[in-house]
Amino acid sequence: MQSGPANDTSAIFVSLSPANSAMRKIYFTIILVTFTAAAAFKTGPVNKAAVTSIQFKHWVGNKTMVLFDETYTNSFGEPFVISKFRYYISHISFVDVNNKETRLPENYYLINEADSLSKIIQLPATAALQSISFWIGIDSIKNTGAVQTGSLDPANGMFWTWNSGYVFAKLEGLSDSSHAPAHGLTWDVGGFRQKENAVRTITLKLNNPQTSANNTIVVNADVLKWFDAIHPLKIAQSPTCHQPGKLAMQIADNYSNMFSIAP
Amino acid sequence: MRRFTIIFIFLFCLAGIAWVTVNNKPTPLPFVVPAGWPQPVYDFKKNPVTKEGFELGRKLFYDEKLSKDSTISCASCHQQFGGFATYDHNLSHGYNNSLTTRNAPALQNLAWQKEFMWDGGITHLDLQPLAPLTAANEMGETLDNVIKKISSDTAYKRMFKAAFGPVPINTQKMTMALSQFVLMLVSSNSKYDKVMRGETSFILPEQLGYEIFNLKCSSCHKPPLFTDLSYRNTGLKLDTTLNDLGRMKITRDKNDSLKFKVPSLRNVAVTAPYGHDGRFFSLQNVYENYRNKMVVMANTDTLLQHKILLSNYETGQLTAFLRTLTDTSFLKNPMFAPPGYEVTPFFIHYH
Repeated sequence: MQSGPANDTSAIFVSLSPANSAMRKIYFTIILVTFTAAAAFKTGPVNKAAVTSIQFKHWVGNKTMVLFDETYTNSFGEPFVISKFRYYISHISFVDVNNKETRLPENYYLINEADSLSKIIQLPATAALQSISFWIGIDSIKNTGAVQTGSLDPANGMFWTWNSGYVFAKLEGLSDSSHAPAHGLTWDVGGFRQKENAVRTITLKLNNPQTSANNTIVVNADVLKWFDAIHPLKIAQSPTCHQPGKLAMQIADNYSNMFSIAP
Repeated sequence: MRRFTIIFIFLFCLAGIAWVTVNNKPTPLPFVVPAGWPQPVYDFKKNPVTKEGFELGRKLFYDEKLSKDSTISCASCHQQFGGFATYDHNLSHGYNNSLTTRNAPALQNLAWQKEFMWDGGITHLDLQPLAPLTAANEMGETLDNVIKKISSDTAYKRMFKAAFGPVPINTQKMTMALSQFVLMLVSSNSKYDKVMRGETSFILPEQLGYEIFNLKCSSCHKPPLFTDLSYRNTGLKLDTTLNDLGRMKITRDKNDSLKFKVPSLRNVAVTAPYGHDGRFFSLQNVYENYRNKMVVMANTDTLLQHKILLSNYETGQLTAFLRTLTDTSFLKNPMFAPPGYEVTPFFIHYH
């Protein structure tokens, strides 16, 4: 690829009229000046605000999560392989060192182990942070409204079509301990109605308050907590969760304890 | 100077194209609320019906390509001549010789409904198509593939642009277009409606049937929709091959066991078989259930604790009345036929 964008642009003018090289140079200069000015303006005072990022890292105990190829063991000695690990983060807020609380505008993030870009969320922080808070789940308004787009597009496979509502979090794979067809482990958790609410709020305090707002906060998520953080849930007993209800809420209780701030 | 003139003409043309594109707005298609009917519950402000959106929805509704193996469209189970239910099938047929567990409901007057399916599990009309599109025993396709198929089709590209402007084709826009089509399926011009409007009158058996209907049926099959949209247990025993608990599947509440949505009786003469699983092949079967065969259970509707007393004479008169709910101007409206046809041609009826 020899021809850069500047060459392409001048080519348009050439095709319009056979200009001499002096004219082409003038056009080229005008274009160059315009772009430089625009670029200079863009990186000016506007972009001075600092960026704090949250980066989610997925673990199975002390091992980094690998999809498909690794067999892990939960605290009940049950082996399992993970094929899908996804969850929705929404209603994010954070408190900075000046005790100023900021709530992010309505936004829904689908964190997907298979998509590394999905695991980073940027926060418009102006000072160092002392805590962050977020939901795992989707509010009832979005669950019952019309078809959504972006991260909430039902085509992302996180929506129950026969009983309108989002799957808030999904752990799927295989396990020799599972008696479900094909030894499947399918924990799809959701539910927004009263008595079946699986939305959980997570608040994480930063142990060593960050010194500046330009920072990446690493949030570790340990999938082993799904099995035993509060309720002991064995794959042998409950290999499948496909609807809101008691099991979904118990899994949600468990996974709401999976997060911690990396030291 | 010639160079500048050419550039000027070029820019002028560009501006012209931009102006035409911006001003190429879709044509509104008015949704008429029949006189004396309640206001619809669908929020038309969020999805105003336009001619272009309606035509796109119509194409999608009749397009078999949306299914996994290009054999099943929405219209396969929702046939216009059958009141947009399935003619003759008790259970709907799906992908790869599969059967569903339910009878396809008639599609009409959907703008007045908040919940869909026999169990009311779907809470918005726009969300409804996602279930049949993705169910393994219906159209069996993934939403991702559906969007891929229609995004790579030039006719669809053109139609989506005409309906929604130059925005990406996605699940939301597709379902909005389908809603626009099915929202227009308003049936309000049967003989019954004409009698109510004072344009004609019932013959004697119809009139007698109307009086029986008002006494024994209308508290659940409430006019003008001929349903109160509630979920009721009408004493239908569980079919152990289907194990369909109805509303309880959604609410997980024992009190909702075997409750199903009250179906509308509009166009009932053409929507046989009846019941959530199509277990009744004729109106006579339905009457026989209500007056004799139904099983009164703990949560059977209070109105049916003593079943319904119906004489043979009465069933005949009721049938005469129910036939006045057939709306031929709806069943034969060319607007609702497959794109390019005035009536559904025979070769589309192969399911």
